[in-house]
Amino acid sequence: MNDVIRIPRRTLFLAAGVIVGMLLVLALVMTGVVARAADATTVAGAAVLKTQQAAAERDVERAYEQAVEQVRKVRALNLAITAAQADAIALKAFNDLKALRHSGLLSLGQVLGLADADGYATATEQRFDQAPVSAQPAPTPVLLAPRLYAIAARMSELAAQLSDQATTSLTAPAATPAPTVAPSPSRTPTPTARP
Amino acid sequence: MRPPTRRFIALWLALPALLGALFATGMDPRALPFTGHEQISAVFLLDGQAYFGHLEDVPWSGTITLRDVYYFEDARKVMTDLPLALVKRGNELHQPVDVMRIRRDKVLVVERVNLDSAVGLAIAAQRALDRVAK
Repeated sequence: MNDVIRIPRRTLFLAAGVIVGMLLVLALVMTGVVARAADATTVAGAAVLKTQQAAAERDVERAYEQAVEQVRKVRALNLAITAAQADAIALKAFNDLKALRHSGLLSLGQVLGLADADGYATATEQRFDQAPVSAQPAPTPVLLAPRLYAIAARMSELAAQLSDQATTSLTAPAATPAPTVAPSPSRTPTPTARP
Repeated sequence: MRPPTRRFIALWLALPALLGALFATGMDPRALPFTGHEQISAVFLLDGQAYFGHLEDVPWSGTITLRDVYYFEDARKVMTDLPLALVKRGNELHQPVDVMRIRRDKVLVVERVNLDSAVGLAIAAQRALDRVAK
């Protein structure tokens, strides 16, 4: 004997609605839509940007000062080249490093969206010329934003290249007449044992 | 069999849900969704690498997903205040899209990043600079 269970139509619609709703919620959770909709993003205010700017300026200046110091120390040594040659090499390195620092600060100004980036770079250079970073107390360390770090890293890399280049030129041996190379017999190839 | 009464639902469903929510709020109120607080997670892997970003962790998936990803880079050769730097993922040679899936069994620890921490501030500053660039 078969029993017939009658389910009211309203209950069926309700059950179907609940199932569809649950599936929808499940799909939204699985695809991460809920997580993304619920998650806000924080954007730094002026105070944080100011701290970041100051830290990035310090990094650019620090790279410049270290490179200048390296050239200065090498120039102070007794070199094989003449004093005039050494002065010329050192002067060129200092000028290149100054131009590099200006370029680094200019990039910084552009990234920070300053209206007069060139004026900002010049003013910052003058400020650091009067009060070098090396003479200031150690500041609270700041982890730079990636965009600012990229500028500081590039500045560091190029400043090191310029100072190394100047060091190499300054420490090069004095130019002497090239000795004539005496002809020598070429090495005769020796047979190698093959397995 | 009697249908579930209102008292049954209140005792076994509503009350535990309420207690769970209160407990979670007690642990970290900012962890609740739709509160307007950003949730940045730090994912430390077994090989020592750490990634920071927005975590999507679906329990039944074998992977976890990170979006807006940042990681640390050695910066000892750069004249910065710290010997490490924060780098945004996406500028590598293969220019990955901003979604990173990590195998769950390779994860050592997942932690919430304080927005006032050095990492939180650097990420917030990066966003501000990104807005300037647009």
